[in-house]
Amino acid sequence: MNANNVYTPSEALIEEVITLSRNVNLYTVKTKEEIKWLPGQFFMVSVFGFGEAPISVTSSAREPLKFCIKKVGHVTGAIHGLRAGDTIGIRGPYGNAFPLDVARGRDVVIIAGGLGIAPLRPLIHEFMENGKDYARVFLLSGSKTPADVIYSEECALWEKRGIRVTLTVDCPDDSWDVCTGLVTAHLDKVEADFQNAASYICGPEVMIEAAMKAVSARGIPEERIITTLEAHMKCGVGKCGHCYMGPKYICTDGPVFSYKELRRLAERFGKGHGPQDDPMWGY
Amino acid sequence: MEKFLTVCPYCGCGCGLYLHTEGGRITGVSPSRNHPVNTGSLCVKGWNSYEFIQHPDRLKYPMIRERGALRRATWKEALRKVAGELSRIKDSRGPDAIGVLSSAKCTNEENYLMMKFARAAIGTNNIDHCARLCHSSSVGGLSAAFGSGAMTNSITEIKDARVLFVIGSNTTEQHPMIGMHMLDAVDRGASLIVADPRKIPLAGFARIHLRHRCGTDVALLLSIMNVIVAEGLVDVEFVRRRTENFDAFSSLLEEYRPDTGERITGVKADDIKKAARLYASEKRSMFFYSMGITQHVTGVDNVKACADLVMLAGHIGLPMTGLNPLRGQNNVQGACDMGALPDYYSGYQAVKNPASRRKFEKAWRKRLPDRPGLTLMEMLHDGVRAMFVMGENPALSDPDTTHVRERLERLDFLAVQDIFLTETSEYADVVLPAASFAEKDGTFTNTERRVQLIRKAVEPPQEARPDWQIICNLSGLMGAKMHYRGTYEIMEEIALLTPHYGGTLHHRLDEGFGLQWPCPDISHTGTPYLHRKKFARGLGSFTSVGYMPPAELPDGDFPFLLTTGRISFQYHTGTMTRRTHIIEREEPVCLMEINPEDAKRLGIAERQGVRVKSRRGEITVTAAITERTPEGTVFLPFHYREAAANILTNPALDPAAKIPEFKVCAVAIEKAG
Amino acid sequence: MKKNMPVPIKTEAVKEWVLDKNHLSYWLRQLRKDFELVAPLRERNDIVLKRIDRIHEIALDCPASIPSPKEFLFPQFEPMLTKGTDGISDLRDGSKRVIFGVRSCDVSAVNLLDKFYLSGIADPYYESRRKNTLFISLVCNVPDGTCFCAGLGTGPYLKTGYDIQLYDLGDRYLLQAGSKDAERLVGRHRFLMRKPSKTDHEDQYEAQASSKAMFAERISLEGARQMITDGKVADDFWQDVAERCFECGGCVYECPLCTCFSVIDRKYNAGPADEQVERSRLWDACMFKGFTGMAGGALPAEKRILRTKRWFYHKLIYYPETLGAFGCTGCGRCTITCPGKIDMASVVHRMGNEYSKG
Repeated sequence: MNANNVYTPSEALIEEVITLSRNVNLYTVKTKEEIKWLPGQFFMVSVFGFGEAPISVTSSAREPLKFCIKKVGHVTGAIHGLRAGDTIGIRGPYGNAFPLDVARGRDVVIIAGGLGIAPLRPLIHEFMENGKDYARVFLLSGSKTPADVIYSEECALWEKRGIRVTLTVDCPDDSWDVCTGLVTAHLDKVEADFQNAASYICGPEVMIEAAMKAVSARGIPEERIITTLEAHMKCGVGKCGHCYMGPKYICTDGPVFSYKELRRLAERFGKGHGPQDDPMWGY
Repeated sequence: MEKFLTVCPYCGCGCGLYLHTEGGRITGVSPSRNHPVNTGSLCVKGWNSYEFIQHPDRLKYPMIRERGALRRATWKEALRKVAGELSRIKDSRGPDAIGVLSSAKCTNEENYLMMKFARAAIGTNNIDHCARLCHSSSVGGLSAAFGSGAMTNSITEIKDARVLFVIGSNTTEQHPMIGMHMLDAVDRGASLIVADPRKIPLAGFARIHLRHRCGTDVALLLSIMNVIVAEGLVDVEFVRRRTENFDAFSSLLEEYRPDTGERITGVKADDIKKAARLYASEKRSMFFYSMGITQHVTGVDNVKACADLVMLAGHIGLPMTGLNPLRGQNNVQGACDMGALPDYYSGYQAVKNPASRRKFEKAWRKRLPDRPGLTLMEMLHDGVRAMFVMGENPALSDPDTTHVRERLERLDFLAVQDIFLTETSEYADVVLPAASFAEKDGTFTNTERRVQLIRKAVEPPQEARPDWQIICNLSGLMGAKMHYRGTYEIMEEIALLTPHYGGTLHHRLDEGFGLQWPCPDISHTGTPYLHRKKFARGLGSFTSVGYMPPAELPDGDFPFLLTTGRISFQYHTGTMTRRTHIIEREEPVCLMEINPEDAKRLGIAERQGVRVKSRRGEITVTAAITERTPEGTVFLPFHYREAAANILTNPALDPAAKIPEFKVCAVAIEKAG
Repeated sequence: MKKNMPVPIKTEAVKEWVLDKNHLSYWLRQLRKDFELVAPLRERNDIVLKRIDRIHEIALDCPASIPSPKEFLFPQFEPMLTKGTDGISDLRDGSKRVIFGVRSCDVSAVNLLDKFYLSGIADPYYESRRKNTLFISLVCNVPDGTCFCAGLGTGPYLKTGYDIQLYDLGDRYLLQAGSKDAERLVGRHRFLMRKPSKTDHEDQYEAQASSKAMFAERISLEGARQMITDGKVADDFWQDVAERCFECGGCVYECPLCTCFSVIDRKYNAGPADEQVERSRLWDACMFKGFTGMAGGALPAEKRILRTKRWFYHKLIYYPETLGAFGCTGCGRCTITCPGKIDMASVVHRMGNEYSKG
C-alpha cells in the first residue's frame, strides 16, 4: 500500500554525520532503493514525532545522498539529535532542477550566502566534472562569521580543479585573513564576461535579492540569473499550499526560478512573499 | 460521520458548535448557523477546539505522588487517598483547614456538586474559583447598585443598538463573536465609544477612542457623569422613579469636572464631553466592560461608577441598553450562579442568611457551616492546609506566582483534577483525570445568562471520568452519599434549590439554544434583559466613590507601567491552546508590546529579548514594538509558562471583592544579555 | 449554411429516469446496504450534513448553504499514517459513501477539487475517498439569500460533471446519471424507475427556469477579476478589508474550494518501549501568519493585508490561471461565516461600488 502513497516516507539510514560548523551538520544517508536526483532538487526529510521539513540535496549524482542541515527549527533540531546508525524518513526528490543549458559555453558566476552553498554544491560538481561545456566558473561564498563557514576545505579542492573561489565573511575575527563584507561587494573581483554569463544564486532571501540585482546590473540577462528559494512546506508536491508565491508553488513550480520569472511575478502581483519592511502583529 | 451540537469551551460568548466524529474520534467542528450568539461564525479558537481533546498529553489514569514522582494508580486507590487525607485534616484541624477550588471550565452541574461537596461533605465554605480573579468586583459592585451581578442584556440586541460604550474590553480579540455583533452595529450606523489605554482593534472602528491612563477608570467615568449632570442630560424621570442616593452622589460628581478628568486620565476634556453627550443623548445605548475595569484594587469602585453612569442616563431595563460585563470563561457565569463562592449558595443565596442555610440544610440533610469561607487569594496566601483543585491552574493564573507556588509547596495535601498536567499539578499529591467538554453532558451558562446543554460526542480517554462522577465518588467516601443517574438529575436538584434556574431542565434546554435566566419555572421562556421595571434589589443605588490611584505606580526604580491581558490566539494558561497546532504556531512566544518611543529610548530592537523586572520577580520576553501600547506602558499576555507575566503582577487586592490588580504594576525593562 | 446550424445535443447522451417521490426512501434504503448514506438533516433549525439513520428525516427543503461536503473528501482532521515498532501503516479511508442531497454548487466545487488534488502528483488520501464517494445532487430550488451560483454557471443545475442529479418535478424526480458508475448504480434499481416522457422534460425545463429566477444575488467575479488585473484596486482597499479580518480562518474552513492543510506528528506511548507516532493532517488557512512562517521564525506574510489579499487573488486570479475556473462557486458560505463581513460577495460588491464607476 505504501508504494502508491506519496506521503509515506521511506526509511533511510544515517551512515555518517559530520559537523561542518557550530550549527550545521552534514548527513550521509543510505536508502533501500536507489534514488536519483538532479542538482537543485529537495527531499522531504522526516523524524517521526517531530514532523517533516524540505531539505535540498547537497551531493552530486555520483555521490551518496547527503543533506547539509542547519539547526533552525523543530524538525532540524530533532535531526541534529540523531547520530550515525539512526534512521530518518525521506521522500522525494521533489521540485525542478537547476537549468544547465543557460550556462553552456558561458562564464558562470555562482553566489552563495551562508547555507546557500549547500544546494549549489552539486551544481559546482557538475561544472567541474563537465568543465569543457562551460567557460570560466566563479564562486563567491559569503558567511556571517568565520565560525559559520562551511565547505572551506572543499573550496580548496574546487579551486585546484579550476573554480575561481572567493570566500568572505561579514563579521571577521582575528583568524580571518581573506575577504570581508557582503558577497555582492566582491563582484568587482569577478572577471567574468557578464554580458555573456549565467549566474546561480542561493542564500537568505535578502541576499538573493541583492545579488540578483547586482549581477543583473552588470549585464547578465534576467533569464540567465537562476536562484533557488526556500519556504515553509508540508507536502512537497503542490497540495498543502504553504509555499505559495502568487499563483506558483515553490515546491512544484520551483524551487529553482529565474530572475525573469520572479520579476514577472512581482510585477503582476506585488511581492506577496518575502521579508516585510516593518513588523506588524495584531491589527 | 456523526455531529453533536455543543458549546465552545473557550470564552464566555458560549457559541454553538457541532463536534464531528468518525469512528469514535473527533474529526472537526462546525459552527451552528442559527445559534443566536455566533450565527454561523466561530473564532480561530472555536474552529480549532477539536484538537486538544485527543492530544496524547491528556491525563488517562489517576496518579499518586510517591517519593517526589507521580505514579499510575487505580481509581480506588486514588479516591481513597484523597478522601482519607481530606478526612484526616478535617478531623485534626477542622473543616476550614481545607480549601476547594471549583472551575469556570466545568459544567453547572459539576460546580453545584463541588459546592455541595465542600459544604456538605467537608463542611467548609472555603470554596471559590477563578471568577475571583475576573469578575468578583462585578458581583460585588453590581449587587450593591442593582442587586444582581450579571450581564443585563443579550448579545442579539447589540446589532440594533445606536451607541456602544466599551471600556476595558478588547472585545474583537477576547469575545470575538460579541465583537462581530458590535461591528455589525457600527455598520448599521451605531456610534462606538472605546475607552482603553491600548489601541485595540475595536478602536479602529470607534467614533471616540478615550485613551486613558491605566487605572484611572473611576476618574474618567465620574467626569463623564459630571458632564451629563452639568449639561442636563440626566434621565431625570428614571433617576426619580427607579433609583436612590442620588444627592450624595451628585455632590461627589462636582469634584470631577472634565478638566480634572483630563488631568488624572490624560484624556482631553473635549473628548470626555463628546463621549458623555453621545452616550447620554441616545436611548439605545449599551455599555460593555470587562477585565480592564474589574482587575484593579479599585475594581468594585470601577464597577460602581459604570453602574452609576448607566443609571444616570437611564440606559437600563430596556432592550438594547444595559450594563454588560463580558465574562471571560465559558462557564464562569454558571460557576458563580452555582455558588462556587465562599459566601453564597447557588442563585446568590447568602450563606449568612439563616433562611437560605436552613433551606440547603434541609435539602442536603447536613448541618452547614454558617461563616462565609475564604476567597481564592486568601486560601492561597494563608489559612488552609489542604486543597482540592478542579480544573484551575493558580500556579500560572494568579498574581505573584512565585509566592503562590511556595504556598502550594507547603500544603499538607493537594489534589488536582484536570484534563492535562498543569503547572499546579506539579505540587499535587494526587492527580485525577477528568473528561473534557466533549466527553460529558451538562450545561454551561454564557455571559448573557444563557444556560445551554453540552453533549457528549466521544468517550473520555482511557480511565478519565467526568468531573461530576469523580465528585460523587469522593463525596460518598467522605460520608455524604451522592447519587445521580445523569447530569439531568443534578439539574433537577439545582432547579429545586435555585430560583433563577427553576425552569432550566435539560429536556427544555434540548429543544433550542438554551434559556436565559432568570427562568423561574418550567413554563418560563427565559429573560433576555434584566431589571425591567424594577431592579433586583428594588431601587437602583448610586454608590460611586472617589478616584483612588492604583496600588503600585511607576517610579524611579520601576519606571514602566505593566498591564496584562490575553491575546486572541492563546487562552488563559494555555493548557488547551498551546496544545493546538495552528493556534500555537501563530503566537508561540511571549511578546511584550512596547511603544516605539520607549523602545528607541532603551535601544530595544524588534523581536529582541528583554528582561522585565518587578518587585516580585523577573522574566525574559521578546519585544514587539507597536503603537498599540501608549508610551510609558507595556503589555504582556499571561499565557506563557516560560515567561509567566504573573511572576511580576501585584497581589494587592480590592478590599471588598479580593480581586488582585492584574492590570497595573510597576516594572523595569532592560535588554537581555 | 447547413454546416453552421447548431447541432442539438442528443438527449441519449445523458441517461435519464423518473423516480416517483414515494419510492425515494426505498431507493435510498437499498443504496444504504452498500454505502454509508450521508444527507442533510435539520437539527434545531440548523442544517447538518451527517450519516443518516432515519431516512425520513432527510431535509430536502433546506437552503443551499448546508455545510460543504468537502469534509467527506478532505476532512478537517485526518490521520494519515502511524509509525510504530513494526513500521509504517497507511490510514487511508476507503469507506464507500453516498452523499445525498448536496447542491450543484458543491458538485462543481468537487470537480475543481478533483482537478487540483488529482493532477500532477495525486493526493492519495483525497483520491481514495473520492473514488469511493458518489454524490447525488439536487437541483437547487431553495437558494439562500447569500447564494450567487446562478451567475457563475456552477449552479443551480449542472449540464455535466455530476454523478447523479435530481430535478424535483413535484410528485417525482427526474434522475440524470453523469457517469458510468452512476449509471450502473441507478441501473441496479431500474425497476423503481421509468423513462422520462415529454411532459417530464417540459417540467424539467420549468424547474430550471424557476430555480434560476429565485436567486437574489448577482455577483460578477469576472468584473472583480478585471478590476484587479487592470490595476484599479489600490492597496488602500485591501488595507480596509484586512482591518476587518478577525483571523478566524472561517472563510477558508467553510470554502468548498480551499485546499490547504498542515501536518502534525503526535507521539502516543502505549508502553515505555512502544512508542507510536501518528501523522495527521488538518485544515490550515492562508489567513494565519504562521501559515508561511519559516523554521527560524521569519514570517513572510506577517502583514494581514498580504493574507487577506492573497485569499481573493487566489480565488479570482490564480485559480482561473492554474485550473481554468474561479476558485468560488457562489455557495455563499463565507458570507454566512465571516465575522468581519469581508466575504467574497461583500468585497466584490464593495469593489464594484468603489471602482467600477470611475
